[in-house]
Amino acid sequence: MTTMIQVENVAKTFTLHNQGGARLPVFDNVNFSVEAGEALVLAGASGAGKSSLLRILYGNYRPTAGSIRITHAGRPVDIVSAVPRTVLDIRRRTLGFVSQFLRVIPRVSTLDIVRDPLLARGAAPEIATEKAKVMLARLNLPERLWNLAPATFSGGEQQRVNIARSFVDPSAVMLIDEPTASLDAANRDVVVELIAEARAAGSAIVGIFHDEAVRERVATRYLDITAFRKAA
Amino acid sequence: MTLHVAPAELDLEPAPLLSVAGVGRFYGERIGCADVSFDLWPGEVLGIVGESGSGKSTLLRCLAGIDRPDEGEVLFRGGAEPLDIYSVSEQERRRLMRTAWGIVHQNPRDGLRMDVTAGGNVGERLMDRGDRHYGQIRERALDWLQRVEIAGARIDDRPRQFSGGMQQRLQIARVLVSEPRLVFMDEPTGGLDVSVQARLLDLLRVLVRDLGLAAIIVTHDLAVARLLTDRLMVMKDGRVVEQGLTDQVLDDPHHAYTQLLTSAVLSV
Ligand SMILES: Nc1ncnc2c1ncn2[C@@H]1O[C@H](COP(=O)(O)OP(=O)(O)OP(=O)(O)O)[C@@H](O)[C@H]1O
Ligand SMILES: Nc1ncnc2c1ncn2[C@@H]1O[C@H](COP(=O)(O)OP(=O)(O)OP(=O)(O)O)[C@@H](O)[C@H]1O
Ligand SMILES: [Mg+2]
Ligand SMILES: [Mg+2]
Repeated sequence: MTTMIQVENVAKTFTLHNQGGARLPVFDNVNFSVEAGEALVLAGASGAGKSSLLRILYGNYRPTAGSIRITHAGRPVDIVSAVPRTVLDIRRRTLGFVSQFLRVIPRVSTLDIVRDPLLARGAAPEIATEKAKVMLARLNLPERLWNLAPATFSGGEQQRVNIARSFVDPSAVMLIDEPTASLDAANRDVVVELIAEARAAGSAIVGIFHDEAVRERVATRYLDITAFRKAA
Repeated sequence: MTLHVAPAELDLEPAPLLSVAGVGRFYGERIGCADVSFDLWPGEVLGIVGESGSGKSTLLRCLAGIDRPDEGEVLFRGGAEPLDIYSVSEQERRRLMRTAWGIVHQNPRDGLRMDVTAGGNVGERLMDRGDRHYGQIRERALDWLQRVEIAGARIDDRPRQFSGGMQQRLQIARVLVSEPRLVFMDEPTGGLDVSVQARLLDLLRVLVRDLGLAAIIVTHDLAVARLLTDRLMVMKDGRVVEQGLTDQVLDDPHHAYTQLLTSAVLSV
């Protein structure tokens, strides 16, 4: 087994300087690891810090303490202390983040958004386009939308574009935050399949799923982060 | 071209393109900027944000070779040997600015020759660089006008016949045609209306990525910073108060001033 994520002694406290310096402790002493081919599902009540933890794993939030080693290009790299260009390289080649919302870039077409990760990893344009089309079709996004920029799409359509982009070339480590929130049952099933396929291909997955049925179909293991709540 | 990096390069990092150490510039008693240090690597896009008067333009002018700082040094690694841009002769510095660097001014009038045709504005940079073949220069100028979405038929028009957004795109073509390694931009989308801005931003995003440029972009617009930059430096009263990966600084700001800046906008 290959350990893909190794979390050690991670803590997070937000300090809100413009609210009298209020300190908002979220968690403390978080330790766990994730192997290739596993799907770890984060559990805990709303506000427990699931999304914060996922963002920390991505190098988006900065933890107050601790280290997170991501296996990148065959060796562990601490994303907490890595310089910006290393973090970006880890994200480009190893680490994917699937959020609930698509960050729309003006004027870029759906097809270009979806094939972009393949191009960034060096795929030939025709192959990238072909794979992007297959993925959009699987997620039942009408073909007439493919050449449009998603700015005007519905919430569920944008979400499917986002999922297509994330799964067109699954990363070795995938972080997933509520990907099915505004999807119908059929598309939810597709997402569950995509996650299973990525896992079968060796991806390590850490996810948050509010939908209990989805959660149970995806998870190989649970981590309740309430256990790490910082003692007041 | 992609930014794909082979595993071995993780260990074998290339040297930074620009190394800035302790740069400061003072206007009498007043601080323009002070204590600024950072490294910029090939292909990286750095944003400088901060409120009006925080020293963004002052710093950019020091880095770009326009204004000599009172303190500190700016090393540029264009060739094998790093070059302290303020210890070389004025002539050498100008040559560097013409060939290895590009500067996009906020006001296109400061970066364009208003009495020269669009084609001439773009071609001039190639001639500065030593290109002499007229046909090839015109062909490249034409290609660049099209890349910045200016119709080829306008090649013999003068910039004053262009709209503000077109002038700005022409300035960008003039700067990028000579394939600089490093580009400085001060509020490149300032003064344009929102729809024109979006188009220009998308163009810049694609060009920067396709050409693998390193760039330093001053903006007061956090959405622009989010879209175009890899790293962000936040300035207040002439000093850098926070810096890091752009999404880190915007999503999990640590400094009181950055928290104020990010909470003042609805969603970036
Ligand atoms: N950027 C931020 N700045 C300040 N506080 C934050 C920030 N992000 C999250 N928090 C706070 O951290 C705590 C944990 O939030 P988080 O979003 O991680 O919870 P969650 O477990 O994902 O909740 P939910 O199930 O509702 O999505 C909350 O109190 C939240 O307000
Ligand atoms: N030539 C000058 N002479 C005197 N003071 C100057 C000069 N240029 C700038 N300053 C002062 O230096 C400080 C920084 O100015 P600068 O133009 O760098 O700010 P900025 O961050 O670019 O602001 P803006 O967002 O408004 O363009 C300001 O207090 C300004 O008044
Ligand atoms: Mg959440
Ligand atoms: Mg300025």
